[in-house]
Amino acid sequence: MQPFSPFAVFNMSLYPNALEKMPVTDQIVVRCRKGDVRAFRELYEAYARAMYNICLRMTGHAADAEDVLQEAFTQVFKNLDKLGSDSSITAWIKRIVVNHCLSYLRKKKVYFEEVGETDAAEEAAVDEGAYALTVSAVKEAIGQLPDGYRTVLNLYIFEEYTHREIADMLGITESTAKTQFMRAKEKVRQLVKLKTKEV
Amino acid sequence: MQLEDFIQQNRSAFEEEGPGPRVWAALEKELPVKQRARVVQLMARHWWKAAIIVALVVNAGLLVKFLHTKQEVAYVLPEMEEMQVYYTSRIEQKLDELGQYPEEQLGLDSTTRKELQLRNETYLLLEKELMSNPGNERIRAAMVRYYQMKLELLDKILSEQEKYHHITPSNKKDAL
Repeated sequence: MQPFSPFAVFNMSLYPNALEKMPVTDQIVVRCRKGDVRAFRELYEAYARAMYNICLRMTGHAADAEDVLQEAFTQVFKNLDKLGSDSSITAWIKRIVVNHCLSYLRKKKVYFEEVGETDAAEEAAVDEGAYALTVSAVKEAIGQLPDGYRTVLNLYIFEEYTHREIADMLGITESTAKTQFMRAKEKVRQLVKLKTKEV
Repeated sequence: MQLEDFIQQNRSAFEEEGPGPRVWAALEKELPVKQRARVVQLMARHWWKAAIIVALVVNAGLLVKFLHTKQEVAYVLPEMEEMQVYYTSRIEQKLDELGQYPEEQLGLDSTTRKELQLRNETYLLLEKELMSNPGNERIRAAMVRYYQMKLELLDKILSEQEKYHHITPSNKKDAL
């Protein structure tokens, strides 16, 4: 008869197969909830670059982007218990990061104020063939946008939120969000065009 | 080309490198694991109480699993009786020893005390299964496991009591 140690039991999971079947990030979340420091690191590493890029686009400054990223991840780590089992962790983290970026902008007194209704057809006013878009020119142009325009443009094109979602985040109407986006885009085109002429 | 199409097509070219190391360095200092560490420290002295419950629950789960995988191997019952008499007397002796400590000193809650009793729900379930399948090797093995586990846990509790309180009941016998 083999001796049976109760400690052998402690090495066994109650649900040994459940964890293996989970997607990797879900496993990390489970381990974070248990207080595993390495799991926090893995979670951070998995999202740091993408989330830092959001912060960088939204703030426009590397040092500020790092500060905002840090604040956002502090909140992510503290609130992992509140993440529902059906929620997408990526969308959840991204939303926290975006919210921190927006509160940073509000602190900087950036207002996403109402603007007069404009004709959506103004988009067509630019001569599309007169200039060529390049990554560096577009990057530079976006960087030169006023904070309000840049925010709306980033949220729509890069973060892929709808005009409705952007309006809710910024506390403006959907049509204002659309108009701001059109104007931001127009401004980028003008800046790129200017840049192309300079070259 | 539309601006959004151009950006989507060249999306990766718009991505910058990740943040510098100072972000993680700052985050690491605020990780919510520190609070847990304090709780763990507090629990350190009484870890075995939690361990008992975990072990009993896990064991009950294992036993149920055993019972659901039936095997038709004939075994002789008298062996079983001999084993039962041996373990029952040992366990009862340990329970007696434990009973001599004041309840507040033991600090066991009612659930744990109930689980520690010889004829708890797991035992009754096993006994019932054994009566209807006397020759089943798996139930037999499960019963032996149940006894051994209970005995080891009782020993552990008793040795912890001695370690922390240096009071030994008068009829303390040799440990297993």
